[in-house]
Amino acid sequence: MTEPALISMRGIVKRYPGVTALRDVELSVRPGEVMALVGENGAGKSTLLKILAGAARADEGTIEVSGVVRDIQAPRDSQACGIAVIYQELNLANDLSVAENIYVGREIKNRFGLVDFRAMERGAAALLDSLGVTISPQQLVGDLNIALRQMVEIAKALLVDARIVVMDEPTSSLTEEEVETLLELVRKLRSNGVSVIYVSHRMREIYEIADRITVMRDGAVVGVCEASTTTPNDVVQMMVGRELVDLYGVRSVPLDETAAPALEVKSLSSGDLLHDVSFAVRPGEILVLAGLIGAGRSDAALAIFGAAKRSGGEILVSQKALALRTPTEAMDAGIGFVPEDRKHQGLFLGLPVRENISSASLRAISRLSIVSRRRDRDLAAHHSSQLGLRLSAIDVAAGTLSGGNQQKVVLARWLARKPRILILDEPTRGVDVGAKAEIYQLIRTIAAEGVAVLVISSELTEVLGIADRIVVMREGYGVGELNAADATEKRVMAMATGVEGDVS
Amino acid sequence: MTINEVTAKKDPASAGAGAAVPVPERMTPGQRFRLRVRKIVGAREATLAGVVVLLVVYLSFASPYFLTAGNLTVVGRQIALALIISVGMTFVILIGGIDLSVGSTVALVSVLTGEFMVTIGIPPVLAVLFALLGGAAVGLINGVINAYVGIPSFVVTLGMLAVARGLSLGITSGSTISGFPPEFLNLGQGSALGVPIPVWVAVVIAIVAHLVLTRTTFGRHIYFVGSNEEAAKLSGIRVRRVKIAVFVISASLASVSGILETARLSVGQPAAGNGYELLAIGAAVIGGASLFGGVGGILGTALGTSLLLLIQNALILLGISAYWQQVFSGVIIVAAVALNMWRRQRK
Repeated sequence: MTEPALISMRGIVKRYPGVTALRDVELSVRPGEVMALVGENGAGKSTLLKILAGAARADEGTIEVSGVVRDIQAPRDSQACGIAVIYQELNLANDLSVAENIYVGREIKNRFGLVDFRAMERGAAALLDSLGVTISPQQLVGDLNIALRQMVEIAKALLVDARIVVMDEPTSSLTEEEVETLLELVRKLRSNGVSVIYVSHRMREIYEIADRITVMRDGAVVGVCEASTTTPNDVVQMMVGRELVDLYGVRSVPLDETAAPALEVKSLSSGDLLHDVSFAVRPGEILVLAGLIGAGRSDAALAIFGAAKRSGGEILVSQKALALRTPTEAMDAGIGFVPEDRKHQGLFLGLPVRENISSASLRAISRLSIVSRRRDRDLAAHHSSQLGLRLSAIDVAAGTLSGGNQQKVVLARWLARKPRILILDEPTRGVDVGAKAEIYQLIRTIAAEGVAVLVISSELTEVLGIADRIVVMREGYGVGELNAADATEKRVMAMATGVEGDVS
Repeated sequence: MTINEVTAKKDPASAGAGAAVPVPERMTPGQRFRLRVRKIVGAREATLAGVVVLLVVYLSFASPYFLTAGNLTVVGRQIALALIISVGMTFVILIGGIDLSVGSTVALVSVLTGEFMVTIGIPPVLAVLFALLGGAAVGLINGVINAYVGIPSFVVTLGMLAVARGLSLGITSGSTISGFPPEFLNLGQGSALGVPIPVWVAVVIAIVAHLVLTRTTFGRHIYFVGSNEEAAKLSGIRVRRVKIAVFVISASLASVSGILETARLSVGQPAAGNGYELLAIGAAVIGGASLFGGVGGILGTALGTSLLLLIQNALILLGISAYWQQVFSGVIIVAAVALNMWRRQRK
């Protein structure tokens, strides 16, 4: 194809204090093409999108749209170039109707200068119709599911005649069916001559929809490939930059299959969220709870940790049934919990790393309620150096650290308590590959020390990479258990989605 | 290049990105001293302290009355009474709450003291104790409703502002109570070692509060709850207890201030403490406390209180009408916060 590129980013460099986020990045998209942009978290995808959207400025490089160099300084410049970015977190007003959302900032007015709702509803209906979506323009956005909200966002983009639609992980919170609808829509956009930049981690979708794939790693483009002549494995290889096996490490100490479980969950139930979930973790074992987002895995973790109510079932720690009504009781029973959402559940972002680390160990470093500043410092220093955090970082606010280092701070908090059972909910989310490898290594080490480790993960490769055993959950039920040796991506996915038999 | 090398290279940059003062792992005493000095000069409170000092120096020259024993005693007492309330307010603001009922609590305690001591004739020590308990109960109610019912503290204490004021007016039918024994009045009017008793009380309270916030587990818990309530809960902190405790502290300190104020003015009056909540919030905010919680301290609050009341005093000494004073206070509150935000952004 010799068609000129619709958009072409050349030699893009972006530096943040101390880090070069993008190094000489090239990205070009032809008209009517779906370009997938892939890379591990931290590879620079979001920064690149921000520059394209006018939310950040490149330090070097040019952006050409239809062969003309454009200076994109602010979101409105980007929009003027026909670029529409649909972020993971949608920009919609939930209390307004679909039509009002689509026309936000471009309201149609009647001759009295008042908003003409009728005309807006007619326009919105026509637009949604052209996308093959059946949503009433009068419906409140808050009443729609996430997939439909995305459709509204896309319709909003098309209203301003976007020629390039950028979608940032649009399917991360969609069900299988919703994903299908979205992909159908992307095909429709393409056939209308709109170009799509599609950011995703899911190889299956990418190979279903993309014409070409741009792979990024560590702030640079490591390759652009045709979807028709490559396999998902090639792409993953490029993304990670080495054999996957190394990333997850291997078990160093043989697992004692006869040991009594350190944690046993029997028929755990919690309202509509959890139904009759049972599993057990032995000392030294890594058990992974797999499943789709919303399958109830985090709810199970919160219930075990005493942070969510249980309506039934038993939790046994070292074969003793315990009530575990509050996190404090769970902690006293030797349980540690690294929650899913680092920013909202894990860290005290504005407080020093030191205080973050010792926050769950205050009793151990204080006498008569008075915190020993020396022991506070020693504890933080010891555990941060163990995790490869720099000592100079311990007085810095936790919020200033990178994702990987933030996760290490939360891990350090729990390791400082020497737990016998450690629950890790999505421990590598938003963490770059290097830190990922370190976190897996750490999980291996603590398991080898005899800690029972329960990991929740939505990434299939991660599930298969570190698990000794896998329990799959779906819609609040435990639907199956697999030994690592018998598990394949297909089997886990089939169980997680409830599709029996062979799934491709 | 292996992945690990990449991280090793990236790490120092990302970890050190926010470090304001690099801490070498081993330091000579000289370095440590310089670091200390830099820390103090660079502290959030340094600018504010500078402003307060400048104001004092200016007033000493601008008005012949400022440095007189009489004026200093009056200003000292005013600052002391306000500081006691502001310290309590700082605790509440640190968990991301607000206590609008402190002014009304001052009135309620003032009235209760009068009722107990004068009308009923209970021995002064017991009367003070009962009045304090009454005031603390206000905080307990605020805290329990906030922690267990989940109503935002703004709303709970807004309701309590009206209820406590109403109770004070109802109990006294709106009139004042006088006829306190002189040994009680000495609390508000007397001095020890040449310094007014309320100043002693305020200094002790401020120091204890500072130590509680910076050195104890309870203090840490307060910052944790204010910084991220969910994370605090998941770190095993009993969030509700912390919340109730700070509201009880706030109301109790307002009560102490109410007792001293009653003794200073020699009357128990239902109109006492009007608007004190805004003064206390203003003082904490000027001192660098964030209304979102997790940021702030007693030193800042003490400086904020001093600044607000010194300016009031200055306006009086410089002969500017009392009616204009609020305009100045309002401007200063907003200007101080703007300055703080600007400093933070520049970092």
